[in-house]
This record gives sequence, structure tokens and C-alpha cells, in this order.
Amino acid sequence: MRGCTRFSWTYSLTGLALLLIVCATTSAQNAAPHAASKAASTPAPKRDLSGVWQLQGDGSQQPIAPDADMPPMTPWAKAKFDAEKPGYGARGAAGGNDPILQCDPIGFPRIMMMPTPLEFLQVSGRVLQFWEREHEWRPIWVDGRSLPEDLDPAWYGYAVGHWEGDYTLVVESTGFRESTWLGPTGYPHSENMHITERYNRVDHDTIIYDLTISDPKAYAKTIVTPHRTLKLKPTGEIAEYPCVWTEENSFTKRIREPATPKNNQ
Amino acid sequence: MKFKPARSFLFIAGLLLICAPLRAHHGNSAYDEEHWITISGTVTEFVWANPHCQIFLDVKDDKGALVNWAIESQSPGILRRNNWTRTSVKTGDQISITLAPAKNGAPVGFSGNQSGKIVFADGHILKIDIR
Repeated sequence: MRGCTRFSWTYSLTGLALLLIVCATTSAQNAAPHAASKAASTPAPKRDLSGVWQLQGDGSQQPIAPDADMPPMTPWAKAKFDAEKPGYGARGAAGGNDPILQCDPIGFPRIMMMPTPLEFLQVSGRVLQFWEREHEWRPIWVDGRSLPEDLDPAWYGYAVGHWEGDYTLVVESTGFRESTWLGPTGYPHSENMHITERYNRVDHDTIIYDLTISDPKAYAKTIVTPHRTLKLKPTGEIAEYPCVWTEENSFTKRIREPATPKNNQ
Repeated sequence: MKFKPARSFLFIAGLLLICAPLRAHHGNSAYDEEHWITISGTVTEFVWANPHCQIFLDVKDDKGALVNWAIESQSPGILRRNNWTRTSVKTGDQISITLAPAKNGAPVGFSGNQSGKIVFADGHILKIDIR
């Protein structure tokens, strides 16, 4: 019987090893050609996230969380969710009504789920984030102020941050327009959405990025997103990537609409 | 403990499920990313534009008639990062391009990730491996 046990484990472990190789190869595709950065063992600078970073993944924009991890929606949110026609995910179909197809601003936090790089800059009292996607930015105020009351809704909200120790920037934000989706698979939010982010620089080249979303008007519980990894790109540069309406409109006429069944246009 | 092939199979099947999200590209639902094809023809236009570059290509169909294919690519910034320039593809170039075709059968496709590529007549290749 012991021989059979070994046989079983041999097969299982061989299968595991092969699968890990496949997984590692595919997940490395997005990152491989970048210049090698400093060894991860190089000490990270304290209270400093400056540099160009990139979300790790398969190269696609990512949903805010897997469908199975999304908390139950309130009737208010469910009605909005049912009206969404995303191009990605389980409900994905050609065409649809994703607001970014009209060049509406992607908004926060969806912009963080894009595979293109972002850059952090630190100036007095603020950490600035610049995203290649949309060529957009937001300030994170780290001068000790609190979130203001009665904010006017904004595409990228209003953010304040503080350091926990020397390597974790915690960011609180609110004041969001409710017309944006949380991700490419849809999911609505309200103007009352409150986001907490943690940028934990675990080594010189790596930030573990966690985000929770509290929005009682829309969800029965806090949304807890999966751990994400941002990698430093020492030679990275932020390119222009605006949604140019005239060019997007031409693209829609020449490619998007011909590829969409008539009943979905 | 007995050898349990069913258990081993389930174990490996579970691992495959874990790996699957890494391999899928979750592309635009308009395209059939399970069945990539390669077509050959003559470039009629290369649009270098944000947010989507586009390639247009005359391709002979089964009956010898020319069909103009419209192909979605990536942003200029992403293409630059992959060593493309705005003149990498020129009108009149003879190319073979690998793409995910539109599900609705229209001569439209997506060639904007690591599964796509262009092979030119002289053998050089353009790909999109990074974002």
C-alpha cells in the first residue's frame, strides 16, 4: 500500500510541478522584457514610493474582485447592475454600455486595475499618482488633513493618506461620482463609497496593493479585493494614453460596430 | 492509504482551474480568443491613434475576391514599448497577421496581446509581449 501512496504522490507532484511551470511562464510574459531592476534584497527607501510601477497580471484590465467574492447588492445597486452591459467577464458581450466606450473618465478605483504603468511622485504634503491610462492623475494629501465633509462628486474622488511604519502608505478616499463602474465586468457604487487602500512596499521592487470598499448604499458588506502586486519598472516611462473622442468614435465605426451583433448595438 | 486515481485527478484538475485565470486574456467579448487565425494580405492603412491603433488589410477570400479586414491593436504607448513605431507597418506591406476573429463572422479581429503577431515578407516579426 505504501508503494501505491508513493505512486499517487509522485503523479500529483509531477503534475503540480508542470502546472507551476506553465503558470510561471504565462504570468511572466507581461513582465519579462523590462530591464532587470535592483535586487529585491536592496533596502527600499523609507516612506517613498517614487517611481514607475506596474500591476502584475495577464495583461488585461482586471475586475475589482472575482464575482464570487462580491458581497450581496442592495436593491438600489442590483437595479444599476442589471442595467450594465459589460464587455468582459461572465456577463460580457460585444457592444454594451461600458461608460469608457464613450471616453467617460475611467475613474477610481477602476484605473488601478489597468495593466499599463503608473508613476508615483512625492512632493511636499502630497503623494501624486500619474496613470498612463488616460494620462490622468490624483493627489493623495499626506499633510495630516482629514477627509473634507460634503465633497462634490469627482471622477477620482478626494484622497488623504498616512504612513504606517516606513513602508506602508494607507489611503482613505471618498467623494466619487457614481456613474463609474468598479471594473470592466461592471458593478456599480454610490457617491457614498469610501475606499481604503494599503500600498505595502514589501521590498525594493514590490508593493502589495490591497483595497477595501465600504458602500452601504450599494453592498451589504465591505468589498475586500484580492492581494495585487505592483512591480517597480526602473526604466519605465509613462506614455500618453488618452481616450481621444474623435479617434475612439472612428474606431467604433470601423471596428467595434462591425464586430457587434446588430441586436447589441 | 490506497492509490486513489480519482483523488489525484481532482487534485490536478483543481490546479488547472487555479492556473486558468493566468492564461486567459479576458479580451473584449466581441472576439473569439479561443480560436486565433492567421491571415495574409496587403496593408491598406495603419492608424496610429489613441486609445487603439488599427491595421487594415486586403485579403483574398475563398473565391479570390478582396476583403478588407479591420484589426484592433493596442495604444501607441504600448506598441512603442514593444519596439513598434508609427511607421512599423506601411501601406502596401505584405504581411501575415495572427488575430482573434470577431465572433459574428465580420472581417474584423483583435491582435493586441501576446497571442497576436505580424510576420513581414522579409521574415521580421512584430509582437506585443508587454503592456
